[in-house]
Amino acid sequence: MKKLLIVDDASFMRLSIRNMLQKYDIEIVGEAENGSIGLAMYKELRPDVVTMDITMPEMSGIEALKAIKAFDPQAKVIMVSAMGQEGMVKESIICGAKTFIVKPFKEEFLYQTISKVLGI
Amino acid sequence: MSDQYVNEPMLDLFIFESTQLIEQMELVIISNEKSSSYSSEAINEIFRIMHTIKGSSAMMLYNNISMLAHSMEDLFFVLREDKPQNVNYSELSDLVLEGIDFIKLEIAKIRNGDEADGDPSELIESLKVFYSTIKGQHTNISHGADSQENRPIENPQYYISKVKTNTPTSQNIFEATLFFEPDCGMENLRAFGVVNDLQELVEELCHIPEDLDREDSASVICEQGFTLFLKTQHSFDEIHKALVQTFSLKNLQLTQVDNSDLFENLQNESHLMGESSLKVPTVLGKNTFPTDPGENENLLAATQQSIISVSVAKLDQLMDLVGEMVIAEAMVTQNPDLKGLELNNFEKAARQLRKITSELQDIVMSVRMVPLAGTFQKMNRTVRDMCKKLDKEVRLQLIGQETEVDKNIIEHISDPLMHLIRNSIDHGIEMPSEREAKGKTRSGTIILEAKNAGGDVLIIIRDDGEGFNKDRILAKALEKGLIQESDDQIPDKEIYNLVFLPGFSTNETVTEFSGRGVGMDVVVKNIEAVGGAITADSVPGEGTTIILKIPLTLAIIDGMNIKVGDSCYTIPTTAIKESFRPKLTDVIVDPDNNEMMMVRGQCFPIVRLHQIYHVQTEVTQFTEGIIIMVEQDNKTLCIFADGLVGQQQVVVKALPEYIHNRKKVKGLAGCTLLGDGSISLILDVGGLMN
Repeated sequence: MKKLLIVDDASFMRLSIRNMLQKYDIEIVGEAENGSIGLAMYKELRPDVVTMDITMPEMSGIEALKAIKAFDPQAKVIMVSAMGQEGMVKESIICGAKTFIVKPFKEEFLYQTISKVLGI
Repeated sequence: MSDQYVNEPMLDLFIFESTQLIEQMELVIISNEKSSSYSSEAINEIFRIMHTIKGSSAMMLYNNISMLAHSMEDLFFVLREDKPQNVNYSELSDLVLEGIDFIKLEIAKIRNGDEADGDPSELIESLKVFYSTIKGQHTNISHGADSQENRPIENPQYYISKVKTNTPTSQNIFEATLFFEPDCGMENLRAFGVVNDLQELVEELCHIPEDLDREDSASVICEQGFTLFLKTQHSFDEIHKALVQTFSLKNLQLTQVDNSDLFENLQNESHLMGESSLKVPTVLGKNTFPTDPGENENLLAATQQSIISVSVAKLDQLMDLVGEMVIAEAMVTQNPDLKGLELNNFEKAARQLRKITSELQDIVMSVRMVPLAGTFQKMNRTVRDMCKKLDKEVRLQLIGQETEVDKNIIEHISDPLMHLIRNSIDHGIEMPSEREAKGKTRSGTIILEAKNAGGDVLIIIRDDGEGFNKDRILAKALEKGLIQESDDQIPDKEIYNLVFLPGFSTNETVTEFSGRGVGMDVVVKNIEAVGGAITADSVPGEGTTIILKIPLTLAIIDGMNIKVGDSCYTIPTTAIKESFRPKLTDVIVDPDNNEMMMVRGQCFPIVRLHQIYHVQTEVTQFTEGIIIMVEQDNKTLCIFADGLVGQQQVVVKALPEYIHNRKKVKGLAGCTLLGDGSISLILDVGGLMN
């Protein structure tokens, strides 16, 4: 079973992602509420894939992405963005995010993206 | 999000989280407004909150909330990035608070299961106007693009043809057209991702549309696809493989092109247009990342949650169950079957059971306790709005916010508090000039204080305004027929408390906020609904004090059971001063045939329970029964009953509709079940006094 780490400051978004993925063969190994916790959890849990919100307190998604990439260049990070964040999304692509999804997104789209990142 | 995923817990979480964020944001705004400019942390925080709400509400398909949040987010983005000068922060606060109110209202609709159908377009329009005013100041620095978070792209770099190598003819030229999944969003950036990924594989590259930073490029890609021309040493298969990896790819057309001139032409064209097709934005180097390992360990520890949130419904259920258990315990230990038996071991076990039950009950109670801070903090907004509308200056001081009260009770006192504060500002606190003329400080002060007092919590609202006008209250009360005659007999304190009677309002001009005369009435009803009481005191010219006495909790009280005939009544032990068997000589009958009890030189009225509730009993002589002396609000009353049954904790149950509303029986606070399964009526001491 592939392991997923959700990094998002909104517990609503974390629950949404969790609910959407419940019927698939993906284990959600952790939920982090900001970038620095996300980074710490990444090091601890070594998930196969991370969904990373961009706007978060403490440490933004992009900073966390950079840090995770620095720690593990193979890390697979999917950015979760919203309309109006084009600049940040672009920056994250350059920093090594695998891809991104745009809120609001649908279950199929989320799963397709994750499975493609994982190469399932 | 598709409907099937919008389940109850998610909706609850959405409501809960959004409400919390909104309240947090409100506080930030109000505290910052006082300093007449927003700190950068505040701007950041508001930006983040709006961003989160935008995302969550879009996921829940509440587009109106999402749109409004988006506009506010835009506004705060400009404030954050451009740091414009001369922003009218007062106007900004008004706008944003209005927005908050809109979202609050919509969330309330959602909570009630209604359609969130509010139309924010007017608000969004005013936000846009404000946006353009602050943006307008900054045209020289602003970067043209409206889209936020689009950081300025500096030092454009070409990453094609970095080294112009004209030689290798073994190069293949491909033309690829990519179509993305509909609705995948930000197609221009998906295309940018493709370009970014191809960097390693290609020598030269051109694409249509050329400028992926332009907002309309996304729609162009949607309609016409994203076309790439690339020059590479890799084979068709390799390129195809790389391109198929693209996320959200719907369709890919890849063809090999022979005409190398095409490539040259395209390139020249783009150069002629003076616009580079391929730019790499410089990543701003300011995002330095703290790499202190110790910090991370701490953070990981913090992720192990020590607090969970539980729905109030479950707590209510738990409370009910514990209540039932308290009754069941009494039913077992005081079972009539056990009468006259010698049960040493049983008694021991029963004692243990009683101890555990009462501990469990204490814990359940404490779980339900919530600090008043949230409710108190909300008053900041009330004060702010009122001051702004009425042009008054008021400082709100909060004391004892950490005082805890049962969750259910908190819900009941929020509205009354707000009303009382409004009243204080509207009627109590004078205009600044008037205050100065009186030698007071220019801005008035309202102190909102909470403190524990035995089984009650006192909430005190004290203002330093002009105080109640005794004569006007008396005149008004007379006019409304609330008192019979304006005589000097009525003590000041009772005069002040006349304002709590239904239909009383002294302010001639009804303002938007208070003075409708129904407010105080509603306040009293709300407070009484939770078993509380309200009193007022005032010093003319110096201010008014209003005290709310709220019980700590509703559900379980310590009671003394008393017997009248076959009926049983319960009196809250906190109200009982003493109980005694009276002597006939202590009983006095006044000319109106009212019976009074003389205790240590003082006279107190007697209430015969069997008389007021029409209960058949053989005990009608005072010497045969018992007198229970009760006190509330400094008034004392003697209750006459057949005898005491015993003291126990009782679970307060609401009275049936029939008794409460249809028959309007006075002096009852509720009812409870006793150990033997019979029902006992809980007396409302305050009610009996009237």
